[in-house]
Amino acid sequence: MTRHEMTRKEFLKATAGAVAVTACSGTASAAPEKPGPKRGVSIYSYSDDLFKTATLEDCLAAVGDLAADGETIGLEILANSHIEGYPNPSDAWVARWHELCAKYRLKPVEYGHWVDSKLRSEKPPWLSTKESYEMLVRDIRLGSRLGFTCGRTKLGVIDGQLTPVQNWREFITMALPVAEKLNFRMMPEIHPPTRLKSKMIDDYVDFIEKEKTTPWFGLNIDFGVFQSGRTGSGAPPGQPGGRSAASEPTGGAGARGGMAAGAREPSKVEEMIPLLPYVHCCHAKFMEMDDNCEETSVPYPEIIKMLVDHKWSGYLLSEYEGEDRGRGGAFQAVRKHHVKRLDYQDQAVMADRAHDLSVPS
Amino acid sequence: MLEKEIIQENGFRNVRQNGQVVGFQVRYRSCYYRSVWLSMSLGFDVSVDGETFPRDRISVTVGGRTYTQEQMKTTTEVQWPISEAAILTVSKPGGLKPGLHEVEVGWGHAASYMPMEMANMPRRPQSPTVGAAMRGMMPFTEKRKIVLVA
Repeated sequence: MTRHEMTRKEFLKATAGAVAVTACSGTASAAPEKPGPKRGVSIYSYSDDLFKTATLEDCLAAVGDLAADGETIGLEILANSHIEGYPNPSDAWVARWHELCAKYRLKPVEYGHWVDSKLRSEKPPWLSTKESYEMLVRDIRLGSRLGFTCGRTKLGVIDGQLTPVQNWREFITMALPVAEKLNFRMMPEIHPPTRLKSKMIDDYVDFIEKEKTTPWFGLNIDFGVFQSGRTGSGAPPGQPGGRSAASEPTGGAGARGGMAAGAREPSKVEEMIPLLPYVHCCHAKFMEMDDNCEETSVPYPEIIKMLVDHKWSGYLLSEYEGEDRGRGGAFQAVRKHHVKRLDYQDQAVMADRAHDLSVPS
Repeated sequence: MLEKEIIQENGFRNVRQNGQVVGFQVRYRSCYYRSVWLSMSLGFDVSVDGETFPRDRISVTVGGRTYTQEQMKTTTEVQWPISEAAILTVSKPGGLKPGLHEVEVGWGHAASYMPMEMANMPRRPQSPTVGAAMRGMMPFTEKRKIVLVA
């Protein structure tokens, strides 16, 4: 039997114990895990079904069903949208949340939240530094209470390049001690039209290095930054023009006034390598899955290989934005995403191990 | 659970006070993926069979509490959950006749993480090709024919 003919179970057995993996929480995992990124799903993927055709528990069950025997799947929620009674859920709701995570073997990983600078008005003055800090800390506390160790900390923006509000450094700095105390990593999401090589990223990295924020403030990379081939058509997948660009806030249409021109040029996968020390989980964005379970607009084999090669072991949270979401397509699309995702990782790990074995130490 | 359509048929009814019909109600769910603070709502507009009602005659009930649209602008601590249809109560003495009506609701909201001012944008029917993540993002209008029974 060649390596490529190994089943996943055999593969896991063969590699068991080979690598000690550190979880996003910073606690050493008890069981040996597959080297490389861990699997997770953002409940955002199911937005068109949630509360219409599916309850929150239905969505959690669907995520849990992606697991191999004994495996735990990571989870992202959107605080505002998915927590009943947000920002003040009842104790009963919080207890139920923990019960459901245990029932479906889910690990709360990333808590999506917003610093809503435009809370009072679309025009400046927006939230003061103190108000922003208070909103941020309220979310860190709630996220931590629900078991999350990462936050997708969405900041208000001031322009079409999605440059964050001017006082972001101040309120993030103020929140760092709380984040550290509660084991919570704040991460702005790097999302198109932002590119990995840009002033915004330079500014974030300067701040991270200067203030020594790792791991309490870092970056979440949305794989939309690697996406190519968008046409802006809403046509169904498989039909001419059937790419799902319209769902991305990349602009182009007049209604998106102010968004960056030329934003569709994707970043290169290798541009993520220097950022990896700051990245604790990612949005594994995908837009359409064919019947071979391939995502054709995002270079997943290359991304996964890069992450495995660099021994990055955070969570990839599948985030679906396909056009068939409104027709109930999200549940199957997420399942498809995890099929090839595992294959790519197995292949990358095997290639890595083959390389290690062939290099005399 | 909510109806898949944005304008909900259940809950479309006349409202009575002291035995008099004083208006009607229609329930409207958000098609945006995110719950928003009431202060970030840019207001609800309602038309029925071509008759448009001014905002000061439309109140909004969320979480069991009823707000005027002016009150919503300063309500920064309450969210309109995506899991809950807002109840729009329209003042209209005599209410609507039982039967099929074409109801149109316009709504918009501010988004801190988007650079544009949504308040200045016209409300238009949402394009059928708008992507899932963008649904409900821009101010838009929604129309549906629904039946009022009583």
